[in-house]
Amino acid sequence: METYRDQYVTLFNNGKKVVVIGISTDPDTTQANWARESSFPNLFASDPDQTVAKLYGSADSKFDTRNVFVVGPDGHITARMMKFNVLSADAFTELGKYVQQTLKSSGGTDRH
Amino acid sequence: MKGRFMFTVGLAGLTAAALAGGAAAQQAAPGGAASAPNVGQMAPDFSLPGSTRYGLLRDPVKLSDFRGQTVVLAFFPKARTKG
Repeated sequence: METYRDQYVTLFNNGKKVVVIGISTDPDTTQANWARESSFPNLFASDPDQTVAKLYGSADSKFDTRNVFVVGPDGHITARMMKFNVLSADAFTELGKYVQQTLKSSGGTDRH
Repeated sequence: MKGRFMFTVGLAGLTAAALAGGAAAQQAAPGGAASAPNVGQMAPDFSLPGSTRYGLLRDPVKLSDFRGQTVVLAFFPKARTKG
């Protein structure tokens, strides 16, 4: 989640009208400790049974797949990036673009 | 009496059919990418224990609580991995 943190201002409007939620199978205490140590600005949600990961087609055996969904103010999905490549600067640029588009309440877009 | 019996049997049959259907759907989509919701669909609501860098949250993180804002849901495999 380091890149999310480092580009929080540009990609996620510094959290203004944008909520970033990192979801994994880690216990909430592990997420909280990691968030404190790394000063992550975003929320974390603990999903040890992968209940939510399954709802989002993001459960890969024991761990979650790095899928990213952008949800608009009305609760509809406006973009999804399957197998998000966290090592790719372009992937983050693209995600930032989807977030900006959603903030402007435009239509959705999809990428596999 | 007979009518009631038939109703019960019918209900049991329906329940069995529904269960079988559910099992089949589960088999086809065991939480893998094929079952991921599409752009334009409502994001499935959820409620999970949450935290921030300031500690554990008293209230669960509930997606529908963030209506009016843009939400980025980022699934990741494990804490303390790069990215």
